[in-house]
Amino acid sequence: MAITVTIQALNDRKCDPELKTVEPILKTENLWKLYHAGKVEVPALRGVNFEVMPGESVAVMGPSGCGKSSLLYVIGGLASTSKGKVFVDGNDLSEMTDAERTKLRRSKIGFVFQRFNLLPTLTAKGNIAIAQYIHGDGFDPHRFAVVTKMLGLEGRLHHRPAEMSGGEQQRVAIARAIINEPKILLADEPTGNLDTKNSDIVLEMLRRLNKDLGQTIVMITHNPEATTYFDRVVHMRDGVIVDGIPAD
Amino acid sequence: MMGQFVVRNLFHRPMRTLIGVMAVAVEVALVVLIVGLTSGLLQETAKRIEGIGADVMLQSPSAQMFLTFSGSPMPIKIADKLRELKYVRAVTPAFLQFNSTGGVETIWGIDPTSFRDVSGGFVILEGRDMEGPNDMLIDDWQAKAKKMKVGDTYNLLSQDWKVVGIVEHGKAGRIFVPITTLQELVGARDKASIFLVKCTRSEHADDVIEQMKAIFPGYPVRPLKDFMTLMTSTNVPGLQTFINAMIALAISIGLLVIFLTMYTTVLERTRDIGVLKSLGASKFLIVRSLLTETAALCLLGILAGVALSYLVRAGFLKIFPTLSILITTDWIVRAGSIALIGALVGALYPAWVATRKDVVESLSYD
Repeated sequence: MAITVTIQALNDRKCDPELKTVEPILKTENLWKLYHAGKVEVPALRGVNFEVMPGESVAVMGPSGCGKSSLLYVIGGLASTSKGKVFVDGNDLSEMTDAERTKLRRSKIGFVFQRFNLLPTLTAKGNIAIAQYIHGDGFDPHRFAVVTKMLGLEGRLHHRPAEMSGGEQQRVAIARAIINEPKILLADEPTGNLDTKNSDIVLEMLRRLNKDLGQTIVMITHNPEATTYFDRVVHMRDGVIVDGIPAD
Repeated sequence: MMGQFVVRNLFHRPMRTLIGVMAVAVEVALVVLIVGLTSGLLQETAKRIEGIGADVMLQSPSAQMFLTFSGSPMPIKIADKLRELKYVRAVTPAFLQFNSTGGVETIWGIDPTSFRDVSGGFVILEGRDMEGPNDMLIDDWQAKAKKMKVGDTYNLLSQDWKVVGIVEHGKAGRIFVPITTLQELVGARDKASIFLVKCTRSEHADDVIEQMKAIFPGYPVRPLKDFMTLMTSTNVPGLQTFINAMIALAISIGLLVIFLTMYTTVLERTRDIGVLKSLGASKFLIVRSLLTETAALCLLGILAGVALSYLVRAGFLKIFPTLSILITTDWIVRAGSIALIGALVGALYPAWVATRKDVVESLSYD
């Protein structure tokens, strides 16, 4: 499938190496996440130290239950930390209330999920526009047109999720995630429910978002082939990162 | 955007929306019809009492203002005492008997001569006035409702009456028989339920009332020129309580159905709520979207309820043409407001539950 990317229209966000700050846009320090199963504490993250630089694309790999998703939820502000620090664009999530994390998510983070998670009652257009509405800047037709064209969605905007293929739904989800120009795009196994062809399309789109627009991306995946689209691969096991920056 | 979201959500589960709308519609229609029926009955009765043309009415101490169910007989000789009062031109007794066999109606036992003196007489549309003991007059509405004409026999209180005349509606009752016959029939010889007094001039009504109160302390004496304003549900013992109870019942139905509807909506949309939160939707926005959806559903229900009220009224009036159901804008607005507030209260807990949902758990909800 041909992918049309209107790079010029989004050029203001294009990555310029000289403008890159040396500070990581995402950083965790001795991050712990504990879940409670009755009276038993189950650690999902056991002191994770992790950094992502602006404009970097990072794939996090590891077996099921190793804490990949927990890491994504915590750095995305969907879940609170149990111990340690998480900095997103200089903001310490571990010191924030739920409402403050919600506000930060709204302005700085975009999510793409394995199960697409589109709102079933809305059309593709509605699913993307609602993110703009929640962001608070209202509907921006120019930005909307650029993003939907870039993702090849112009012909599917009036279709509901049930009327679209998995690949199309995931592209809508990506459009929704980037429509407000987040600092970080977090993807939780975005190709997990897609066939090889659609997986490649989605991964290629993520790669272009990163290379052409400088979008920082952290993606969780089981698929080793998917990691070839990313700058760096981090492996996790038993709640710790076993390569890259070592755990404490 | 919010409007589009709400509308699409409403149409996503049409049957659930329909049930919610119908619950609110029934709630609104119940309130409007119960109030309409009671106030219609009161107003219509009051109009007919005012239509007699008397100035003052005397009732027994235990009597109710709402005459339909009145018995409470007094000695008929009271009429003679009243006639002796200054400024009194004419007095007529009336004996009222409630009948629920074959319909709900109040039979007026009157003395044709004195009734004519007080009221100026009936406008007889067909036939003649009462002369014999078993003669009966009915008004044109009653004739239409019962499909009766002059010369027909009307069996009431196990007695065959001969319809001798059809009179214009709007004066006292709908069915009139000689007072003496009615008294004998119910074993209340020389008794009267009310006395209607015509003053020499209407301005003398207050003087006459003063005199009547002095002679008959404890007996309700009412000026009839204000009867319509006095005839409200609050002035009829127990009626307002009944209305309040019915309204409370209607609100409970609406509130519970809306609660259930919105609760199941929140459960079904657990994942959607998680998605909205992941996009950065605040708790306020989530509550607002659910309450807006409830309000939209409720507004549809209110419209349906108003339509249902008129439909039920039309049906009732077809079956019971003499019934009066007063549907007023005031009570439509009140019923609508009650339904809306009830619905929003019913949706508050589900909305609160929605805000409390854990994002991560919500996103993995099936």
